[in-house]
Amino acid sequence: MKRLIPAALGALLVATVFVPLGLLLSRSGGPGEWLEAWRSAESRHALAGTLLTSAGAALVALGLGLPFAWLIVRTDVVARGALKTVVTLPSAIPPYLWTMGWIALANPKSGWLTLLVGRDRLDVYGSAGIAFVLGTSALPLVVLATAAALERIDPALEEAARLSGATAWETFRHVTLPLIAPAMLSGAALVFVFASASFGVPYLLGVPANPPAPTLTTRIYAEVLMGESGLSRAASSSVQLLLVAVGVLSINAWLARAGRVRLPRGKGLGAKVSALGRSRGLISALAWTTVLLVILLPLGAVFLTGLQPTWGQWGSFTLKHWGVVLQPRTVAAAGVSVLLAAGAALLVGAVGLLIALSRRRWLETLADAPSAIPGTVLALALLVAFSRDLRFIAFERVAFVLALGNTVWLLLLSYVVKHLALGVRSASDALAQADPTLAEAARLSGAGPLRAFVDGVLPQVRGALVGAVLLTFFTCVSELTMSVLLIPTGGDVLGTLLFELQSYADPASAAVIASALLLIVLAALVLQNLATRRAEAR
Amino acid sequence: MAAVELIEIEKAFGATSVVKKLSLTVREGELVALLGPSGCGKTTTLRMIAGLERPDRGVVKLGGQLVDDGRAFVAPERRGLGMVFQSYAIWPHKSVFENVAYPLQLKGASNVEAAVKEALGWVRLEAYLHRRPHELSGGQLQRVALARALVGQPKVLLLDEPLSNLDVALREELRGEIASLRAKLGTTMILVTHDQAEALALADQVAVMNKGVIEQLAAPDVVYREPATPFVAGFVGGANVLVGEVQGTSFISEGVSFALPAGTVAPPGPHTLVVRSEDVVLGAEGPLLPLQARLFMGSATEYRLGLGDSVVRAVGSALSHARPGQLTPVSFRSVRLYAP
Ligand SMILES: Nc1ncnc2c1ncn2[C@@H]1O[C@H](COP(=O)(O)OP(=O)(O)OP(=O)(O)O)[C@@H](O)[C@H]1O
Ligand SMILES: [Mg+2]
Repeated sequence: MKRLIPAALGALLVATVFVPLGLLLSRSGGPGEWLEAWRSAESRHALAGTLLTSAGAALVALGLGLPFAWLIVRTDVVARGALKTVVTLPSAIPPYLWTMGWIALANPKSGWLTLLVGRDRLDVYGSAGIAFVLGTSALPLVVLATAAALERIDPALEEAARLSGATAWETFRHVTLPLIAPAMLSGAALVFVFASASFGVPYLLGVPANPPAPTLTTRIYAEVLMGESGLSRAASSSVQLLLVAVGVLSINAWLARAGRVRLPRGKGLGAKVSALGRSRGLISALAWTTVLLVILLPLGAVFLTGLQPTWGQWGSFTLKHWGVVLQPRTVAAAGVSVLLAAGAALLVGAVGLLIALSRRRWLETLADAPSAIPGTVLALALLVAFSRDLRFIAFERVAFVLALGNTVWLLLLSYVVKHLALGVRSASDALAQADPTLAEAARLSGAGPLRAFVDGVLPQVRGALVGAVLLTFFTCVSELTMSVLLIPTGGDVLGTLLFELQSYADPASAAVIASALLLIVLAALVLQNLATRRAEAR
Repeated sequence: MAAVELIEIEKAFGATSVVKKLSLTVREGELVALLGPSGCGKTTTLRMIAGLERPDRGVVKLGGQLVDDGRAFVAPERRGLGMVFQSYAIWPHKSVFENVAYPLQLKGASNVEAAVKEALGWVRLEAYLHRRPHELSGGQLQRVALARALVGQPKVLLLDEPLSNLDVALREELRGEIASLRAKLGTTMILVTHDQAEALALADQVAVMNKGVIEQLAAPDVVYREPATPFVAGFVGGANVLVGEVQGTSFISEGVSFALPAGTVAPPGPHTLVVRSEDVVLGAEGPLLPLQARLFMGSATEYRLGLGDSVVRAVGSALSHARPGQLTPVSFRSVRLYAP
């Protein structure tokens, strides 16, 4: 058993992720075809679009993330705790929801903010808008990394600079900034990768833009829609996208190793909070205005859009669009999404725990890798690999057919492998911290291995595992990037339904479904918060 | 002129008062040690001198100039001080040279390189100019911190337990280094420590702190020979501190009556009696106390005797035959009595 389970899991991962990736690579042709693709202006345009919007998103997240991390960790800004909650909120909300809000706020003709500043003066469509929306929705990645680094700096390092004659600002530039830079940059690299892999935002904001602002993900989607003929071009765009993600992540890992600065711990008093003094009111007002504008306003706009009689007509309200949530198509899509997300979440938890328990480095690495693969690439690989039925012949007589193509099972598979890293990492972190003596004590008191595991180990990893399962559930229930490629013909999940309503037919209904989704996510966040607080209290 | 002057400064964190109406004057060129147990407010006092913490009340002056009186405030970087932190606080992203050069660069000094080399020469680290901090040992880091604090030739150097993270041998060595640097540069120094040997060895004046107040400020030998309070006697001399009552020529503590040495005069009533362990005589006369432990310490032997819930310590070479549990006569050769 001890050998069999890891081997089986490894084989399964290879068969469902790495073999399909290989097929995708072969589908994209060889270096010759890649060069060919590179020569086409369209392909270069899409790559440039991805690089540009991703770099822009990273810059936006850095520019906003550093001041907010500073305010949250180091100052007595008004309502510090609430500010932290709001700033980290975007991590729980699918990026295309912000996009919908921003379209309502800043489309060039009838956006609410546009009308305030003048028609055509504001345009969320195009590369700048994509970068901005992606940057703000990935803000927590930079804020959390930077805040953690700020908390770890020994206050004496900064005080020593003051005593050496540096002003507060010089101290920040010469001591604080270099010390937090590695964490900030690695947060920014994650934003870059997140942005380059995102599909909903660049599709909703880039395709209708004038001129269109394509990225690799939207181009891949368009090529897949063309059918068999587009598939090999899509495969070659996928290779580019994969290289971007893997390249940035490896540069980041290399930088982290090379430029690692050990941050010695302070004497235990923790980060020193400095009073903002007379400017406290002004700075707090500025911070909260920014948060309102960048984070809360677009969410509010989504709600309002669902309440307007006609799109773009602000000021009067109606509930007539809310009927959409009860329409059979919505109910069916929601049902499929919930079932798939729940299944994926439970599998991520269970398989993650199994892999962590095996304590095999190679298996953990294998399970970790798919999380770095852009969703579009992963989905396309599965599409290519499982579009034809696979026949297995076992024991020379039983033949069975694996027909995953065009079924929801492929969707489930993609959700699981994409989020497996979450389950593995939280389980293995929790196991590393768990006290092994509890299980040993259980064994010594006469419990069998299974019983000892249930009584001694499971309680210690349960908290982390439940967190991973919930997070997976909420990411998957509104998943769009992979679903849009893998959804069976004629079927819907919430993400694809929303996406279709928003981009082709009925933005008001889309807003209603988005609002419902938002309400559920917010409620779940509150519940999860309460649960962690209770777990911490114990 | 006073290099540092604190006038009735007070500091509280939340509801706990950490420094209470503390006044202290440090003359130019002097080394004053702030000596006291952990948590008594030494670091807080030092930080208020540096401007890293602001007193709730009171006045801080440096070189006769007011730097903080609750309203006017001179920022730490403009006080012209040097400081060595307990955690070294060497910037991990800068080399040794860059660490030491930083104060000079901020001043826009010319000839930075020569000055840095000279400062590193003071602490005998010239050879380590281009090392990164993570390649240095604790003692070397501490010396870099000293060089960095001294390179700008500050009027006053603040040292917060600069030697407490080092092993005994290194501590002795750096202690000598600080003494010789002071002789060479004539810098005024304030040294925070909870190690009495360090304070007594280095300081011109020792300020013994307890619970946010200075209980005695005097030269080391005075603090040692004539402790002003039982706390000072107990903390600095390691003396026995007994609470009890004077009755005639006896002192009653925990129900045991000790004869006061001839020549001790005190009015009857409650007192605190302080007796050094070397002034406790065993095996001659006096009440019998149980011997609890015998600790051989090389040059001498320490005996611990039970007195109620507390312990009387005696140091001597006699009584080698005494065994734990044995009742031993105890008397005092000389004592100090403090009225409550
Ligand atoms: N920033 C702070 N906030 C709250 N309490 C503090 C703070 N700084 C110090 N204290 C408290 O004030 C008291 C005195 O602290 P201080 O650091 O001055 O002691 P110390 O004499 O230097 O002790 P040690 O020898 O342990 O360094 C301690 O009880 C400490 O917990
Ligand atoms: Mg201290």
